[in-house]
Amino acid sequence: MDKTQTKSDRDFSHPQVRTENLNLYYGADRVLQSLSFDIPRGCVAAFIGPSGCGKSSYLRCLNRMNDFIPGARAEGRVLIDGTDIYAPDVDVIALRRRVGMVFQKPNPFPMSIYENVAYGPRLFGVRDREVLDETVRSSLEGAALWGEVKDKLNTPGTGLSGGQQQRLCIARAIATEPEVLLMDEPTSALDPLSTARIEELIRDLKSRFTVAIVTHNMQQAARISDHTAFFLLGELVEYGPTSQIFTAPEDKRTEDYITGRFG
Amino acid sequence: MRRLVDKLVTLVFWGTALSLGALLFGVLGFVAHRGWEAISWDFIFEPPRNGMTAGGVWTPLVGTLELITVSMGATIPVGVGTGLYFSEYAADSLFTHVLRQSIRALAGVPSVVFGLFGLSLFVIFLGFGSSMLSASLTLACLSLPLMVTASEQAFRAVPRDYRDASYALGATKWQTIRKVVLPSAASTIITGVILSIGRVAGETAPIIFTGAAFYTPGAARSLFDEVMALPYHVYVLATAGTNIQGTRSLQYGAILVLMGLVLGISSVGVWMRARLNRGK
Amino acid sequence: MSTRKQEDADLVEIKRMLLRLGKMSENAVVRAVWALKNGDISAARSVIDGDDALDELTERIDGSCMSFNARYQPLGQDLRMVVSTMHMAVDLERIGDYGVNIARAAIELERKPLIKPLIDIPRMSAILSEMLGKALSAFDIEDCQAAKAVFLMDDQIDALEKQVTRELFTMVMERVDRLEQAFLLMGAARTLERAGDHATNIAERVIYMCTGKTAKASDYKNPKNKRDDQDEDKNKDKEKEKENRDEA
Repeated sequence: MDKTQTKSDRDFSHPQVRTENLNLYYGADRVLQSLSFDIPRGCVAAFIGPSGCGKSSYLRCLNRMNDFIPGARAEGRVLIDGTDIYAPDVDVIALRRRVGMVFQKPNPFPMSIYENVAYGPRLFGVRDREVLDETVRSSLEGAALWGEVKDKLNTPGTGLSGGQQQRLCIARAIATEPEVLLMDEPTSALDPLSTARIEELIRDLKSRFTVAIVTHNMQQAARISDHTAFFLLGELVEYGPTSQIFTAPEDKRTEDYITGRFG
Repeated sequence: MRRLVDKLVTLVFWGTALSLGALLFGVLGFVAHRGWEAISWDFIFEPPRNGMTAGGVWTPLVGTLELITVSMGATIPVGVGTGLYFSEYAADSLFTHVLRQSIRALAGVPSVVFGLFGLSLFVIFLGFGSSMLSASLTLACLSLPLMVTASEQAFRAVPRDYRDASYALGATKWQTIRKVVLPSAASTIITGVILSIGRVAGETAPIIFTGAAFYTPGAARSLFDEVMALPYHVYVLATAGTNIQGTRSLQYGAILVLMGLVLGISSVGVWMRARLNRGK
Repeated sequence: MSTRKQEDADLVEIKRMLLRLGKMSENAVVRAVWALKNGDISAARSVIDGDDALDELTERIDGSCMSFNARYQPLGQDLRMVVSTMHMAVDLERIGDYGVNIARAAIELERKPLIKPLIDIPRMSAILSEMLGKALSAFDIEDCQAAKAVFLMDDQIDALEKQVTRELFTMVMERVDRLEQAFLLMGAARTLERAGDHATNIAERVIYMCTGKTAKASDYKNPKNKRDDQDEDKNKDKEKEKENRDEA
């Protein structure tokens, strides 16, 4: 606990993701209300809150996946490594390369394991087979899947088990070497053992990536994150070190949520 | 009581399925039985002779293959493209809605109307004359609604997850369509193509006015030649031949060949689809 | 709300058990001191015999808390409540043991006439009883203000213990044959003083449970000086933070 504390203290002045007065609208609805907070580099930030509280919407602001929702409009600034990703001249494609994403349901493409992982690098014009081989290997290793699939790289990714598929998706996301990894309830479709493996993986990943994870499972947030944010009705109610949020939150609403008094 | 109802319903469905199967095999069996004696290698590889009272079906067989190839060449790109437009690009507006419904309505139009349309557009207005090109394009128009609807459904059936994953990896829209959406939809589109081919291969009405020949000495050599086609050939033999009764076995033989052709093409399609699905 | 029915019922049960344990521990000490004062050996024996029940209840509380954690993985105030309860049960069990120690001393005195009438030791016991009552009722109603009163009472017990010790020393110096008895009485006073510390711990736990902030009794005993210090520390921290930011 102390270790986390000092680490975050040191890094707070160099946030990887800085959100400044962010408002998100879907048409006339304001789904995110004036969010301002920092996610330090190399830590896992968990977002919790009841369904529809805006935590997933916030996550999708970070790689601008909300752009696909008709009528979605963001105001304010989100700085990733100091660059405002909502500035007019931002290349969204390049942004998404820097900010990887893993989804709720494991969604490997209907291709081979190899092609799944090579998908991102290929998009950016990597053709050299050796480079691709190396990227595929290191990404699968990074996702703790290499040992299980190294002999069947050319078999379909969809033939793997749910947990393996999700790790394949993580490998696919880290193959483009992003700086930030977004995870939208990555274990909600998995069994406890697969969940445990993914959680262990997330703890390993934070040495290389800053991880932002949305989860419905508070124990999961408590297990894997360094910082926790509690969202309610599009508002950031409380944000702080995970150990504090789950033992002695400052806001009554946080307290009520984590003890199951509502939501 | 509940179990009894359950059993009864099961029985009814079994019955319908069984009668459909019986009908299908009945027709097949009937045709096979009547046409079997005509079938031989010579029958397939020889052109009709003696005023179409003898010989084989080589010329109309090739003609039908040509018609299928050219019409599919036209209908697949246009149909898939339109389906792609509807599912990926078109805004959800009244215009799109009307357009989509019109295309669906087109599927219900009698084929003879397509024939007349082909006659006025391709044969006369565009000056292609009565030719394989006009006939093929008319057939393409006929199968277009099916192609569009099938491919739109195929694209819509591609899970949103795939697109999200692709976009999240930094793919552009076109990259996503080309590398993820199209390959995933391919097997369903192939089903649409198989159905279209079945339809095109068996049509008579649209080609009578646009390019089907009563008789040609050999297969068409250019797009602007008239062609013989199997269904029209059968129609001619059965209604306008010089010896209608005497060529019964030729007629059934030709039908058998046509059915074999469609079955063969479908099998190839099914095989391709299976191959594609195996990659998933 | 409705999703918490079972949890709330379990928490109420745990709380009820802890309050009962509190009463038992308090009784043990009060009875033991009464036995000491009045030379009532049978009362002393009943305290010793009652210790098994006290230990058993402590174990039951422990078990209930463990199973609550295993079942519900509590967070926030539930977590604080359960963990605090476990700690408080240990404190109370220890206080109960102290009652046994004093009861043993009463038996050792074997109805010998006391070298002096006991006044301060029963007073200490009365104060302890009040401390426990206050701390546990604060726990019951989850009111941290009520718990703070306990801290100042601990000072009274400490002062009385010093006074008793001093007094007994003087008596021993006057007559050495009083040594054995004086030693036992000093032990009893020391034991009560320790029991006071455990009561203070309990009050601290109650405050943590209610507020989520660790409370130190020492922060409340000399309120004025302490607060100034804290403010100074805070300012220092802020300055440091500023420096860090500027460097960045």
